Amino acid sequence: MIQARGASLVYYDHGREVFACRNVDLEVRPGEFLGILGPSGSGKSSLLYLLSGLKTPSSGDVAFDGRSVGDLNDEERSKMRLNDFGFVFQQPFLLGYLTAIENVTVATVGKAAYEEARELLDRLGMGEKSHRYPHELSGGERQRVCVARALLGDPMVVFADEPTASLDHANGSQVVHLLNQHRGSGSLVMVTHDPSMLAEADRIVELNDGMLASGHQATEVATGH
Amino acid sequence: MQAETTLAGANAKATKSASRPLAAYMYLLRNIGKTAPLIAVITLAVLLVAGIVALMDSIPYSIRVIYSYSKTALGISPRWDPTQTPALRSVVIKECPVPIERLVTCRASSAQVKSIVGKWPFVVLGLHQNDMLYYLHRLDGDKIVGRLPKPGAAEALVSEPVARNRGLKIGSDLLSPTDTDNYSPYHVKVVGIAETKEWIMVTDIEYLEANQFPAVNFLLVFAPTPQQQGKLDHWAEKRFKGSHAQIFAYHLLEKDTNDMFKILYKILDVVIGTLVLVITIMMGMLMNIYQSQRLVEFGLLQALGYTKRQLLRRVTLEAVLVIVGGWVVGLFMAYGLLLVVKATLMDPSAFSLNPFDPTAYTYTLPIPIAIFAAAVLTVWLRFRNFDPVGVVERRLV
Repeated sequence: MIQARGASLVYYDHGREVFACRNVDLEVRPGEFLGILGPSGSGKSSLLYLLSGLKTPSSGDVAFDGRSVGDLNDEERSKMRLNDFGFVFQQPFLLGYLTAIENVTVATVGKAAYEEARELLDRLGMGEKSHRYPHELSGGERQRVCVARALLGDPMVVFADEPTASLDHANGSQVVHLLNQHRGSGSLVMVTHDPSMLAEADRIVELNDGMLASGHQATEVATGH
Repeated sequence: MQAETTLAGANAKATKSASRPLAAYMYLLRNIGKTAPLIAVITLAVLLVAGIVALMDSIPYSIRVIYSYSKTALGISPRWDPTQTPALRSVVIKECPVPIERLVTCRASSAQVKSIVGKWPFVVLGLHQNDMLYYLHRLDGDKIVGRLPKPGAAEALVSEPVARNRGLKIGSDLLSPTDTDNYSPYHVKVVGIAETKEWIMVTDIEYLEANQFPAVNFLLVFAPTPQQQGKLDHWAEKRFKGSHAQIFAYHLLEKDTNDMFKILYKILDVVIGTLVLVITIMMGMLMNIYQSQRLVEFGLLQALGYTKRQLLRRVTLEAVLVIVGGWVVGLFMAYGLLLVVKATLMDPSAFSLNPFDPTAYTYTLPIPIAIFAAAVLTVWLRFRNFDPVGVVERRLV
C-alpha cells in the first residue's frame, strides 16, 4: 500500500548535509500494525513524515497505492492526508476553543461525521466528556480525543508519532491498545522508542542513525500477531 | 417536557457547531477576548474619520443651508453707478429666457450670523409689504409668529433658524446702533418669526431707504419653477459678465464654496490618508500577533490535511468578518455620535451638521480596504513557507 524505495530525507544545518533518513526500503502492508522502533534522534519521526506525505523524499521514492508522493503537488498530498490517513502526534494537539467532539470532527465535516465522532468517543470511553474543552481534560483524555480524530472516517493508514511520549506507561499502553482495537481494517504505523508499546504490533522495524537496521533491509521482529 | 425541549435545543446547537467546527465565525465567537479589541480598533478608526470629515463638511454644508434662500431668486445689483438699476431691470424684462413670475426691487442691509468657524455676513432684505408676503410664501414662511414689519418702522422679521442662531425673540434687537456687527442707526426690533427652515431676515424697504447707506436698489428675479430659476441664473451669469452688475445666484455660491474648500479637502485627504496608513500598519502588526498565536492550529490543520489555500480562505473570511464587523459598527456608532452632537451642540444654535453625510462615510472606505489588504498580505507571507512539521515536532510552538 505504501512503499518506500531508497528514500532519503536530508536537512541542511548551516549548509551541512544531515541525513534524517538514508536509503530506506520499507513497505506498509494493508491492515497491519507496523512498529518503527529506535532511539531518540534515529530518524523515526522523519521516516513517518516521509511515509505519510508530510515530507517528500530528498532522493528515492515513496509511493501510496502505486502513486509516487513526490509527483503529487502540495494540495494533492494534503487531500491524501485528509481523506486516507489519520494522525496522532507526540503531543495531544487539540484546538483549545473547540470541544472534544468538535476537535474530532475537525478531521472531516458534516452531520455524519458528528454521529461517527460521538460513537468513536463513546467507544474510547470519552462519551461523557465529549462536550468538554481540552483544558478540562487530562493528558490521557486529550490523547484519546486525538485517537478518535485519527480514526474518524476509517482512514486507510493511521500514523502515530510517539503517541505515548507525554503519557505515563499505563495511559500510554491504553492509548496504543485503543488505536489498535478501533482501527478497523486500516493499517497502523507507530513510531516509538519504547519496545513495550509495540506489544500488539504485527511487525517491527528498527531504525538507527536514519537507516533501517541490518543494512538497508528491514529487521522484522516476529511478534506472534 | 420543557427540560426535554431545552436538551434537544442544546444537542442541535452542539451538532451544528461540531458539524462546522472550522467555520470562520466559530473562532471569532469562541475567542471574543481576542477579536473584540481588533473590532474595537477598526470601529474607533471609522468613528474618528467619519466624525472629522462630517464636522469639516459641516462648514460648506452650513454655507449651503444658510444661504439656500438664494435658490429661489436671482439677485442683480448695479456696480459703480447706483442709478443703473432701472436699466438692468429693462435688460431682464427684454432678454430673460424664461418667464418671470415676479421682479422685485429691494434694498439690503447686512447683519451677521454665527457659525462653528465664526461670524458670517447675512443680508437683511428691505421689501415692500406685498413683496414681503410673496417672498415669505416662496420660502415656505407663510406661518408667522407675531407680525410683519410695518412700513417705515424699525422692525424686522426673521425665520426660526435665524432666531435660534442669534438668540432672538420677539422684541429683541436684530440691528442696533451699539452693535458694530449688526449696525443700524435705530434699534430694529424683531416683530415676527417665520416658521420655515430657510434663513430669512426682512425689514420694510422704507426704513432702509430712509436710514441705510449706501443707497442702492437692486433686483430680485423670481422664475416660476426651480428648473427655470436655474436657467435664469445661468443666463444672468453670462449676460452680465464684464458689465457693471453683480450677480447673486445659488450655483455661483456653490461654485465659490467648492473652490474655497478645495485646498482644505486636499489637506483633509492627506490627513485621512496618513491616519489610514498608521491604522493599517498598526492593524497589520496586530493581525501578525493574532496569527502568530495560532501557529499550532494552522500547523496541526495542515498536518491533518488542510491545504494552505483552505487555511488562507478561512483566515481571510475571519478577517473579512472582523473588518466588516468593525466597519459597520463604526458607521453606526459614528451616525449615533453625530446625531448626539447635532442634537446637543449644533441644533441649539442652528449650526448645520448632517449626521448622514455620505462624504463622511465614503472617507471611511479606505480603512477596511487597507486593513484587509494588510491582513491578507500578512497571512499570505506567513503561510508561504509554513512547515506544519515544525509545529507537530514542537519546534515552532
